Formats: sequence, structure tokens, C-alpha cells
Amino acid sequence: MATRAIPKNTKKRKAVVVEEDVPAESSFPQDVGLELGSEDEGGADAEGEESDDGEVDEFPEIDARSDSEGPVSDSEDEEDEEDEEEEDEEEDLSDDDEIHIFPKAKTIVSDITGQPKRVYPDIEPDYDSDSSTEDAPNRVGNVPMHWYDDLPHVGYDINGKKVLRPARGDELDKFLETVEDPDSWTTAFDKKAQSDKPLSPEELDLIRRLQEGENPDAAYDPYEPTIEWFTGKGKEEVMPLSGAPEPKRRWIPSKWEKQKVMKIVRAIRQGRIVPNKPKSEKPQFYSVWNDEPSTHPAPLPAPKPRLPTHAESYNPPEEYLPTEQERKDWEETDKEDRERDFLPQKYSALRLVPAYNQFIQERFSRQLDLYLAPRIQRKKLQIDPNSLIPKLPSPSSLKPFPVYKSLSVPHQKGRVRTVSVSPDGGWVASGDESGVCSLWEVLVGREVKRWKFDGKIGAVEWCPRTDVSFFVVGVEDQLHFVVPPNLPTIVLTATLATLCPATLPPQPATPSPVKWTSVAAASYSTDKPVLSVALPPSSGVPKQLTWHRRGDYLATVSGGEGQGGVWIHQISRRHSQAPFQKVKGVVQLVLFHPTRPHFFVATQRYIRIYNLAEQKLLKTLLSGIKWISSMDVHPMGDHLIVGGYDRKLCWFDLELSDKPYKVIRYHTRAIRSLHFHQTYPLFASSSDDGAIQIFHARVYNDLMTDPLIVPLKILRGHEVKEGLGVLSVKWCPRQPWLVSGGADGQVSVWCS
Amino acid sequence: MGRLKKKGEAGAAKAYVTRSAAIKKLQCSLADFRRLCILKGIFPREPRHRKRANKGSSAPTSFYYAKDIAYLAHEPVLQKLREHKAFAKKLARALGRGEWSSAKSLEDHKPTYRLDHIIKERYPTFVDAVRDIDDALCMIFLFAALPSDGRISPSLVENCARLAAEWQLYVMHSRSLRKVFLSIKGVYYQAEVLDQTVTWLVPYQFTQSIPSDVDVRVMLTFLELYQTLLGFVFFKLYTDAGLVYPPPLDAKKDETAAGIGAFSLQDARSPPVQSSAQGSVKAVAVDGKRVSGKDVRQTIKSIQATSGPDADVDMGVSEPVEGQDEEDFVLQASSSNPQEPASLLTLQSLSAPPQSSTTKLFTPYTFWLSRETSRPIFEFLVRSFGGRIGWPITSGSGSPIEESDESITHVIIDRPLVVKENETEEERDRRQRRKYVQPQWVVDCINAGKILLEDTYAQGKTLPPHLSPFEARVDAYDPTATVDAAEASADEDEAAEDEAMEEDEEDTPEQAALKAAANARDAAALQAAELEAEAAGVDFGSFEKAAKKATRKSKKTAPQEDVAEQDMNKMMMSNKQRKLYERMKYGEKKRETEVSTEFCVELIQVMIIVLRSV
Repeated sequence: MATRAIPKNTKKRKAVVVEEDVPAESSFPQDVGLELGSEDEGGADAEGEESDDGEVDEFPEIDARSDSEGPVSDSEDEEDEEDEEEEDEEEDLSDDDEIHIFPKAKTIVSDITGQPKRVYPDIEPDYDSDSSTEDAPNRVGNVPMHWYDDLPHVGYDINGKKVLRPARGDELDKFLETVEDPDSWTTAFDKKAQSDKPLSPEELDLIRRLQEGENPDAAYDPYEPTIEWFTGKGKEEVMPLSGAPEPKRRWIPSKWEKQKVMKIVRAIRQGRIVPNKPKSEKPQFYSVWNDEPSTHPAPLPAPKPRLPTHAESYNPPEEYLPTEQERKDWEETDKEDRERDFLPQKYSALRLVPAYNQFIQERFSRQLDLYLAPRIQRKKLQIDPNSLIPKLPSPSSLKPFPVYKSLSVPHQKGRVRTVSVSPDGGWVASGDESGVCSLWEVLVGREVKRWKFDGKIGAVEWCPRTDVSFFVVGVEDQLHFVVPPNLPTIVLTATLATLCPATLPPQPATPSPVKWTSVAAASYSTDKPVLSVALPPSSGVPKQLTWHRRGDYLATVSGGEGQGGVWIHQISRRHSQAPFQKVKGVVQLVLFHPTRPHFFVATQRYIRIYNLAEQKLLKTLLSGIKWISSMDVHPMGDHLIVGGYDRKLCWFDLELSDKPYKVIRYHTRAIRSLHFHQTYPLFASSSDDGAIQIFHARVYNDLMTDPLIVPLKILRGHEVKEGLGVLSVKWCPRQPWLVSGGADGQVSVWCS
Repeated sequence: MGRLKKKGEAGAAKAYVTRSAAIKKLQCSLADFRRLCILKGIFPREPRHRKRANKGSSAPTSFYYAKDIAYLAHEPVLQKLREHKAFAKKLARALGRGEWSSAKSLEDHKPTYRLDHIIKERYPTFVDAVRDIDDALCMIFLFAALPSDGRISPSLVENCARLAAEWQLYVMHSRSLRKVFLSIKGVYYQAEVLDQTVTWLVPYQFTQSIPSDVDVRVMLTFLELYQTLLGFVFFKLYTDAGLVYPPPLDAKKDETAAGIGAFSLQDARSPPVQSSAQGSVKAVAVDGKRVSGKDVRQTIKSIQATSGPDADVDMGVSEPVEGQDEEDFVLQASSSNPQEPASLLTLQSLSAPPQSSTTKLFTPYTFWLSRETSRPIFEFLVRSFGGRIGWPITSGSGSPIEESDESITHVIIDRPLVVKENETEEERDRRQRRKYVQPQWVVDCINAGKILLEDTYAQGKTLPPHLSPFEARVDAYDPTATVDAAEASADEDEAAEDEAMEEDEEDTPEQAALKAAANARDAAALQAAELEAEAAGVDFGSFEKAAKKATRKSKKTAPQEDVAEQDMNKMMMSNKQRKLYERMKYGEKKRETEVSTEFCVELIQVMIIVLRSV
């Protein structure tokens, strides 16, 4: 019995403790348990477990308390209790010590059967006796409560009457409840009652324990004293476990040990082992390099420190001594930033030289360098820096090119935006921002005629035809075709026949937004433009005008419009058309190819080449310039130069690649204008820094030779006004002369 | 399809390891790692892309080659360091338990490591080792002068002093000292050993103390390596020179501050009895040998001093053959037993390269050191150039000559001139016979490779500047080139003259001829002009002047065009070339300004002197 009790007791340690701790509770007679614990062991265990973890399980359903469960378990147990009474008598009363609500039973011998039976006292209906009826009116049992979901009641009370579903508010009520009721967080939903029930302090304590990871049982004591069963006072073992006598080997010396010791003793005797023998040492130094060196290459030797210069002398020449200022500077700079780690000093005699106070620090820093500093092997270039400069032919061998300013024509108001030289090279038309366009002679600079237009002039361009003579002026939304005065009669009639023919060509089928208006040939005057082309309204000032080499087509680029503002006008048909439906990006410049039906279009960063005959894109050139400002094509048509506001000039060999053959950057400000000479191998670039750079640019017909670009001359003479320098440069077609218009209102001619 | 490349499995990520990763791999402490790095000569590397080497992190770390670390992992010294760690624990345990006997036996079996294999690895050939002993010598000389304290044991200082003395002995013996420089930091020496220049710096003789911002442990680790390295190097140098290594030390002399005199070079071919019976025999042998050798030398010297040319004559580069003989004789006398006949020429002595005469610079002279000059420096200098030197007993014992010695030709003195009143006749006589020079004379003579005039270095005189013999850069400023300054001033004069000449417009035929010379550009024109001038009766001097001026002028104008052209050609350079060019030009300009500022300072000084003299 005792052996059986032990495991049980250990299993139910908690119960024992409770019994010990709370003697008041077990104040009822010892045999109470006997009657109570009527279950068999399995039952007791089950019940114990139930009572242990029942509390855990039942947490959501609140009213399933131990006291209400008591009767249930009791009723289950009652069937067995008769059979195993005797056994249960010995049972400790641990199991249900908490459930001591049962009234005491008396065992009497039944009058009828003659068997002993238990008789319980009558229940007195007072508060203490039984509270189950008050607490749990719903006797629906352990059924899923969703069976009652769409019914008005939630179950039946003990009398079989319906227990009505308590009124439940909506979500807002619930929320208000949580706000108003400070204890609402300690309530939980009770399924059986279908309402919120406050949690008891015990339950709250249980929840807290579970949250904190403690043992859920409040009564559990992890530090209970050990119960000594076999040891301790009065429980000493007095009898030996074995009665065998002590073996002999315990008290005689070991034979094997003796043999081992004797072996050593013999070795010592014979001198094979010498105790405390001085270690045989290799000599401290010997000829370590005598044997063959390894094939590994030696590690690189550490760089040697710098050797001392004259400045480090104890008696240096006077010029090495620092001035007061240098001394002060040296002392003020940080130690790491100093160019040398000492100040030169002069002593008249060697005996006066003191100890150098940084000696050890310098040695130490050298050692730090040796083991802490990363080392890099650097190749030292032993070349003359001037050999890096490319060898180019001397400019004097590449004459002629403009070298001096021969004359300059002032514009009174406004910057000169554009200049244009007539195809015979005798006249220059220049236009400024105040709307004045003046015509003057290249040779002497005499102004012949002046026109005044409304708004600023964006571009002026002479027609390249030699049989006629006129130029186009681009102003706000308008192109004006102007005939210069004093033309020979043949040229004048041809010009007028071109610009305002007697019979107008038939109107195209699709009406164009561009309107052509011309005066009658009879009423022509040089004061007024002969022909005007009204671009669509709000297309702005034409930024650029460019003629096809035959002089029949004219392309304009104006700023404002959506479709890129590119128009191609045909003089003979008096018709304008926009070549592009839609252009990616804003078109900056356009150019006709000098020999082929190709059309260059420069957007902000790219140059696209279209074939006008086949109406398709041929190539896109990637300049690498952030914003293209100017562009010109070589008269041969295979080379293109592009300048940008980011000071770069790109030379494209169109046969070679989409990328520039050469990118050079020499202007200090944005490049404004570029122009190739038609006959001489020259090109010029002008910039906002007020300088014009002349280059010799020779291209070769064979594909193997690279073009030769030689900078020849920097022409200075224009002033920079409001950040703008030379805005436009043009070559005279037959001479190596250059015409430039600047933001300072001057138009200059540069001669060779 | 090729296998996908994973990040961090090749390239820089594998080739480099950070320091902390290296320590983790080697399983040692940071201090042990540092020690290993110092001993093995492993240093951090700079990866080309730090981020790639450090798994994408750009935190500041130092990187090592992974192969270096793998190589360290097999290092026997690392094993020994681990053993030592265990040993230290065992010992501490034994001591804590009071088990004295086991502590003692543990102590007896303390693990120690040797660095022989590291020396062999780091310096596969002897020349490699000699090339790298600069730092080692600097450290040894520094520690030889340090006072011992808790961190620096007396035995360490003693060992360093011994190694320093051994090196000096070898340099003196082999006559390999080349250059000396007295700087404010100390004395720089440069010797040539096995065709390698070895430069070392010796601090002046003052007590140094280790400052607090210096980690002594690092220095001691280096010193540990350096002592071993120098030991092996010296062993090889000595044995190759046929000397016994280590040279025996006379303890008695050492106690009386004899310095390097306490060591004696011993020929390895001498009978072993002598070296084995060290104690008493050594002292006797040393004394006896020294005295006898010196006697011989002294007599020869005195003979030469009386018969030879006067000492203050600027000694030429060449030295009489007699000197060579004497030198050999002295060597043999000092290195072997004087009683024995001189040994036959061996292969070693035959193969020794003929020493140039500059190494015997001071052979004809005998020096006396004044009390205030540093004996170790000048004893070393004079003896390595073949001179004899003596010093007063206050500078240490072991002086071979007395002050009253008749053979003394120079006195190295560093004190101002004081007129001695009660001078005896004998003293005055002696003073007049000897040259009194300041210490710088010795050093300047060595650097110049010849005996300089003593007058400028005489006692009490203001010394000429002491220049560094190491200034090697070609375009560096040369303070001795004062001629340029004079030339520049002459040029200015000429220019002024020229202007004056141009002002008066008299067109005499002479003037015309000179003008023709001035305008002449090429050689042919110049010749024609010369003929013309001759015909006109202009003297050649003025003609030459005009011609020179003309060439200078044309030089001035031609470059201007050139510069403009070059400036324009520069714009055709590629970006890379331009940057390189600008960097090079920047450096050039910096050097030029350095030289020009120094030149200006000198020019100003020259002008001040001129003004003063006027």
C-alpha cells in the first residue's frame, strides 16, 4: 500500500502541499476523504487531471467551475463507489480537497436491503448551500450553442422554461462599454449565457500566470523541501551492501607498477635517462643561408625611408631656415598634414645640438607603417610631360586662316543673333534682337540698307542660288523674303520671277496652315519684303533657317509648337509642309545633307538622320552632349560637327560610327555656333566666352585616313555681355574670312 | 548553359579577408596576430574595390590576402604561441595551488620559439637580408642607448649594445662606411656592404625616454625579429670575413666604458685553444696583442708623419702604395698573433675587392678627441677611415694614445677659442704642431672623399654649412651653386647696358656690327656677323657678349610662339592624357617653386652681403 502511495503522492505533490499548508481546510475528520474519494485510481487520476486542467480548458466558458462540475463527476462516480469502498478508504483525500462542498454523508444500514448505504443530509436552501441554480440558469448541456443561433432563446432553465437570449448591443455599444466600464477588459464572453461575464480574480490570476509562463497552478511551490526517505537522521544504512572481505590487492603494492618503475630505474642506472639534463640546444646563430635558397621569389622589401636632405642638417645653409611665418604655419598645422616632420634649425657647434625629441615616435611610426600600412606598387612615369601633347603640324604651315579683325559693324540696339554672307561673298546680312536687319559690304563694312521688323530676328539666311539674290529673315511667326537693293536687272527679274511669279502655282489639295503672301512684281520695293510666309500662329521666332543647296527648299525650326516646329518650304510650289507627324523630343536644329536627300534633325541630345526620299530614319547619332546648340555638316557630307551648351564639340564620321570620332572641349563657356568653310579646310566655333576658335579640318577621301583636326587660332575681340559672347559665325564663301556677330552688338570681319 | 555565378565566391571577395576574419580563422588574440604579422612581414593590402572585398560593406577595415592568412595558419610560431597560452594557464594554476615543484618543472619546459625559419623565409638569400637591415640597425642603435626599465630589460639593452658594437666593428674592419651626415635628428651613416647601401640613424648621446603614446610591445616584437636577423647577418658577415662570431667581449674593459674597444676581432684561423680558454687568456691576449699591434703601427705612423708631406696640404685622391702595404700589415698584425709569422694570402683576402683610396682617408693622421666631442661617433668615423684616435680618460677607457703623444696631428675640438694664460713652452709647441679642427671637418672630409683645408674649420670659426650627402635628385636646389647668382646679376647688368646702348642711336660701324650679331639667328649668320665685326674692328669680347645676348633673346621669343601652339595642341589631348599632364606639370611647378624660393632667399643673402661689403 505504501509503495503504491508513493508514486501517487509524488504525482500529486501539489495536493500534499496544500494539505500541509492549509490545515484549516482539512479540519474535517480524516475519514472525510475516505467517503469522498470513492473513485478508483483511474477515476481519481482522471478527476485530478480534470480538476487540474479543467480550469485551463474551461476558460472561455466561464461558468463551468469546479463546484458546478463536482456533482457531475460525483454522479459518474457513484456507480462504482459501492464496489471499491474498502480500497478507497485508504485513499488520501487529496483529489477533491478543493471540492469539499459535498455535505457529509452518513452510512447507515438500509432497512430494506440490509446493506449499508449512505444518506446525505437535506439541502438547506440558504445561500451557502448551493448557488448553482442562481449562477447557471441555462441547463442546455454541452451542446454547440450555434444550434440556438436563430432562436430567441439560448436554452432552458431547470424548470424547462426558455432562457431568453440576453439583449446584446451592436458594436458601438460594445465599444462604449469598453470605454465606460473600467472593468470591461476583465470580462469574457460566456457562450452558454450568450453574454459577457466578468472574470473572477482566480481566473485573472490564472491568465496572468499563463502569460508569464509560470506554472498555472497557484499552489505549486517549486522550492518545496525535499522529503528524505532513505537518508538523513535515523535512516542511516548500518549494514554493508556486500559482505565480501577486502581483496588482497587493496593492500599489497602493484606488481605492474613495480615493473614500470623498475624499468625507469634501470634506465637511469644504465644512463639511458638523465634526469634534469640540460636541453641540447642548437647554436643561437649559424649559417642559415648556406643551404640552397628556395625557388620562391623573395617577398618585396619594404620601401626604404626617405634620406635626409640639406634642410635636416644641424648646420644648414641659411636659406633653409624657416621664416617666422613659416615656423608659425608649421606649428599650427596638424602633425599629419605637415609637409615635413621637422623644422630646420641651425646650431653653431655640434656640441649644442640637443636630442631630437621625436626620435622614438618617428621610429615607432615607421614600424607602424611596416606592419599596418597597406602597400601598393606604383609605377613611376619617367616621361617628359610635353611628350603627351600630340604632335600636330604647325599652324603657320596651314595658312591661310583668319588672324585679325579687319573691321566691325555695330548694331545700335540689341545683340546680333545671326549673320549671313551672300553666296558671292560680297554682302552680309545681320539681324539683331531689336528687329533690325542690316545689309553691308564685307570689304569696307559700309551699311547699304537697313530693315526694321517687328519683334526680334531669329535667323537670316541668303539663298544659295547665284542666279537670284535674296535672303530670308525669320521673325515672330513670319518669314520675310527680302531682295537687296542695286541688283543687276537680270538677277532682279529672275529673283522676282522666283518669289512672286505672275502665275501662282496651283494650290495643293490639302490646305496648309502656312500662308504665303507676296506683293505683285510690279509694285515691288526693296523696303518691304517681297514675299512673306506666315507660319502657324504661336509658333514663335524661327530659331534656325537652312537652305537646301539648290535653293528651292528652305527648312525652318521654330520654338513653340508641338510637332517640333519644323517646316520645309518649297519656293517654286509656294508650299510648306511639316515633315514630321511627331518628333521625340524638342527639335533644336535641322540640316540638309549637301549631296544626298538626307535630313539631319538634332534634338536636345540626339541627332537623327532621315532619308527624305524614302521617308525613313537612317541613323541616330549619340553625341553625349547634354544640350545641343549648334551643328554643321562638312561640304563633302561625310562628317558632322555638333556643339553643345556643355562646351563639348563632337566630330562625327558618319561612315564610321554612331559615336563621335573625337570629342574636344576647349571653350570655357557654351558653344554657340559652328560653321564649316565651303572651300577651305577650315571650321570655326564661337562661344559664350567671347572667343572664336579656328580649326584646320582636313578630311580624306580614302576611308583609312582619319580626319586631321588642328587648332589654328583663337580670335578674341568680342565682349561678353550678360553672359553671352559670340552668337553666330559664318565664313565668306570664297575667302578665308570669317564674319561673326556678338552679343555686344558688333559684327566683325576677320581676315587672314 | 554555364553554371550561374554566385556572388562572393570568386575574385576580390575570396582573395581578401578582413583583419577580424583573419583573427577568427587563426583562433588567436589580436596581440598574437599582430606579433605574427610583424614577425612574418605580413601587411595589409589595399583591394581595388573595398566594397567588393568586404561583401558589399564599405566599413573601414584593413584587408589581408587570404593566402597570407592561410600561410600564417601553418606557422610553427603560432603553434608555439598557443602552447604558451596553455603553459601560462598551467603555471598560474600551479602557482595558485602552491605546487612549487610542478611549477618549477613547468617553467623548465616552457615553450619557446625560434625565428630561424622565418629569417630564411623572409630573406631567401643573404643579399636580401643585407638589403633590409636598415630598420633593424636603427632600432638596435636606439635601444642600445635607452635606459632599461620595467618594460625594457637590461639584458635586452645589453644585447642591443653588443649587436651595435659588432656592426660598427665589422664596418670598421671592412672599411665599408661611405657617407656620414650630422642632422638634427641624429647621425646618418651609410655603408656599402655586398654592393647594398645600408643607411642607419644613430641618435645623439642623450638619455631618451619612451613617450607614452608609443606602444612598446610593438617595438619589442620588432626588436625580437631584428635581433635574430642581425645575429644571423653578422654571423655570416664575420665568418665570411674570416672572423670569429660573436667577437669576444672583455668584461673588464666594458665596465670601464671602453665601448667598441671592449670587443676584439678574432681570426677564425687562430688556434682554438685561445677561444676555448676565454676568461684569462682573452684579457691577456687582447692586451698583449693590442699593445704590440699598436706599437708597430705607431712607429710606422711617426715615421711617416715626420717624413711624409705636411699634413695641411690638401690630400689628393691618390695615396702612395706604401700606405696600402702598411694597411695590410696592420690588418694582419691586429687579427692574428703577432708572434706568429703573417699567414699566407688566402683566397678570401685575394678575392676581397681592392679598397678605394677614400677608405684610407685618415690613414696618415692621428686624432685626439677633445672632451666635449662624442667619442662613439668620432672613434667610429676615424677608425673606419683608417685613422688612429685617442681620447681622454673621461670619455672612457681604452684610448690607445696619450694626449702628449707626439704623433697626434689633429685635435677634434668643439669649444670656443679661449686664450690660455699660463701655458708652458711645451704645451704651446704642441699646440702649434697640431691642427685644431671642429668635428664637422671630419664628416665633410668623409663626404668629400678628400682632406679639406682645415682653416675654414678651425677652432672658434663660423662653420660653412653642412650639406647632406644624400641629396640625390638631379633638379634639386644646390646650395653650393652660387655661381648662378653671380651670373644672373651679370645678366641684369648686361640688360641694362643693352638698353643704354639702344638708347643712343649713333650708328657707328661697330654698333652696326654688334647689332648684326644681336640679330643673327643661325650659325651661318653668326659667322658672317663675326667676320663683319672683325672688319669693323670690334674686339671679340664685346662681340661674343652681343652674340650671346642675341641667342638669349631669340630663345625668349621663340618659346612664346611655341607655348601658344602647345597650348592649342593641348586641346586635342584625350581626357586621360590631359589629367596626367596636369598632374605632372603640377609636381614640376611645385619643385620649381621650392628651388626658386630657396634660390631667392640665397640671392637676398648674397645681396645683403654685397651691400654690407660696399
